[in-house]
Amino acid sequence: MSPLDTPILVTGATGFIGGRVCERLVQAGAKQVKALVHTLQHAPRIGRLPIELRVGNLLDRQSLRAALHEVQIVIHCGLGPRRGIVTATRNMLEAAQNADIRRFIHISSAAVYGLRPPAGVETESAALRTTGNLYADSKLRAERVVARFASRGFPVISLRPAIVYGPYSSWSTRLIGQLRGGHGVLIDAGEGACNTTYVDNLVDAIILALDAPHVLGENFFITDGERITWGDFIRAHVDMMDPRPQLAQISSSQIEAHYRKQPGLITSSLKAVPKLLLSRGNLFQIPIVQQAHERVWETAGAMNKERRDQLRTLRRKLLGMPLLGGPLSSVWRSVAGIEQVTSVSASNGHAPATPVPDRDSWEEQTGAVFFSIEKARRILGYEPRIPFSEGIRRVEAWLRYAEYL
Amino acid sequence: MRGQHLPAAVLHPDVELAALVDAETSRAEKLRAAYGLNCKTTNDYRQLLTEVDAVVNALPNHLHFPVNLAAMQAGVHVLSEKPLAVNATEAKTCCDMAEQNGVTLAVGMSRRFQAGHQLMELLLAREELGKVREYDWESGSAWSWKASSGFYFSREQAGGGVFIDIGVHVLDCLFHWIGPVTRFEYQDDNWGSGIEANAILHTLHDAPHGEVRGRVRLSRTFTLKNRLLVTCEQGTASLDEDSPEEVAIHKRNGRQGLSMTLHPEAAPKGSAFYLQLDNFVQSVRGHATPLVSGRDALAVAEFVEGCYASAKRIPEPWSEIPQLETATGGSR
Repeated sequence: MSPLDTPILVTGATGFIGGRVCERLVQAGAKQVKALVHTLQHAPRIGRLPIELRVGNLLDRQSLRAALHEVQIVIHCGLGPRRGIVTATRNMLEAAQNADIRRFIHISSAAVYGLRPPAGVETESAALRTTGNLYADSKLRAERVVARFASRGFPVISLRPAIVYGPYSSWSTRLIGQLRGGHGVLIDAGEGACNTTYVDNLVDAIILALDAPHVLGENFFITDGERITWGDFIRAHVDMMDPRPQLAQISSSQIEAHYRKQPGLITSSLKAVPKLLLSRGNLFQIPIVQQAHERVWETAGAMNKERRDQLRTLRRKLLGMPLLGGPLSSVWRSVAGIEQVTSVSASNGHAPATPVPDRDSWEEQTGAVFFSIEKARRILGYEPRIPFSEGIRRVEAWLRYAEYL
Repeated sequence: MRGQHLPAAVLHPDVELAALVDAETSRAEKLRAAYGLNCKTTNDYRQLLTEVDAVVNALPNHLHFPVNLAAMQAGVHVLSEKPLAVNATEAKTCCDMAEQNGVTLAVGMSRRFQAGHQLMELLLAREELGKVREYDWESGSAWSWKASSGFYFSREQAGGGVFIDIGVHVLDCLFHWIGPVTRFEYQDDNWGSGIEANAILHTLHDAPHGEVRGRVRLSRTFTLKNRLLVTCEQGTASLDEDSPEEVAIHKRNGRQGLSMTLHPEAAPKGSAFYLQLDNFVQSVRGHATPLVSGRDALAVAEFVEGCYASAKRIPEPWSEIPQLETATGGSR
């Protein structure tokens, strides 16, 4: 029996990859596709499809039990909250194991080797090591959880795509926004390895993994198999635009120098306090408070509704807390005739002539490793069918339809 | 209910709120407490029909019809949220029932009460820019409607997707301003038994002064231009969703053009929902007729049904991919 004739649950179905997986399964004739949906408001794209939407939460094990009813295959594209990636994957694996799932396809990431993978990790046999990046380390730890389940005989496969792009991908929509805003920049002449993975190539690999023999417990890099650089990727988007935006250039040493000048969290927070007192700001403009606040909200998805509501109330109270800044600032400004300080940031106040990429983009765009897809070719029978030139052509057609261009 | 209808009812001096009804009484109770109201709360609307004069029906789409009908059967006036019903047959039954029982049936196409829409209506009716030649209407953004139930993703319960949801507002205005559509081509992105997230409609109106061509594009996934642009003989008029209280016009005058933004001279006070409720109250009292009647909504429902019946798929060339051949030659 073809795996497409069996009930398949797709997690992360309202996301970019999961959404395309659902579409492709329908295109391939699958009749029993179930989509795990956390927030129905995000479901219009998959709501178009003849599939079943099952509301659930990767952090709520009971909802996963219900979502797996009569399911035989799980395609796990879901992430959960940023700080809940590992728990979300563990919950899904446990629920799937209890439900006697026939096969579990785990969408891992080439980021298990960090955002800037070190030389020597071109093949899947390279040892994994944490790098301090939250997303990369979470995907790594999730893969380790997967490996533990596999070692106990659970039928799971991990696919490690790299820079997955295609219609609906934020890589392209964000990039278009940056280019249009005059923030397009090439780091180190754009020579970093991009490891593009066109979304349909990844979905090909997923579909192959549904019943390929001799793949259980294995990891596979999945890319387009071309040596595409970040310069190629960014310039391909520049070429879509009219008028063509300018691209600035920045080197790693310039970026390094910029971040070296930045004060640390404590220093910037201490510096922020006097500025805050002279403004109509709130506590959240102090970097350390802002960071703590972000961390709390990253994990909020794991909390029950009551706790989340309590947090919301607390946040409202903190935001509304009258600071000395209000009255003091108006007096001070009228005396000194200064502009209102609307935000306090960690920057030194001098806008650099060239937009400085954030640290994650810097790392991502300056790697030298091109991952090998030889193992996927050999064992999974994977062959990328959409080359980069065609992938970009499809992205452009979609961006025009969606009115990004 | 909570966001628009209830504040309007609370503010209206001639409305006495008799009860809040919700499938979960606790939700109605919370709302009652939040507004400090002195009214009943219940999960069974039927027990109230002998006690009230009128009902505002803001239930999920598939419940508009049965509740509208039950209310009108009991002689209760109805302000129904749009769509009046999920299909034209049910919408017609509602209109017939209202007429048989002599009750007011108004439909919540609230946009018609917005100042900008009323200005546009006036501009077009008075041919301030000459006769209408064509229009282009785009409305779309990433969807964020928080419904307590998932009815929006059930074809049976919602009646459709973005076209029945937002399209009815657009069609209601177009019919009212320009007249019926005589020819059309409708496309959407429903892949089968799903709910469309995008819809494109090309229209032709045989208006008394000549043909008017139009294009309507709606989306729940993409941010579109979110404006209506009407091209007339002597210029253009545009209505921006971000500025619903004004109309921007550009009038050609020989080689020179004149651009200006129009505001109503004396717009009635209150939100569109308040004005809609006020129009309903005045209609119930016999002092007015509903700005959007059941028959107006029926014309829209019939047109929507015709569009769905003739729907073609929006081409999505980026989605087309040959089936995957496996080693054994089977397609997947």
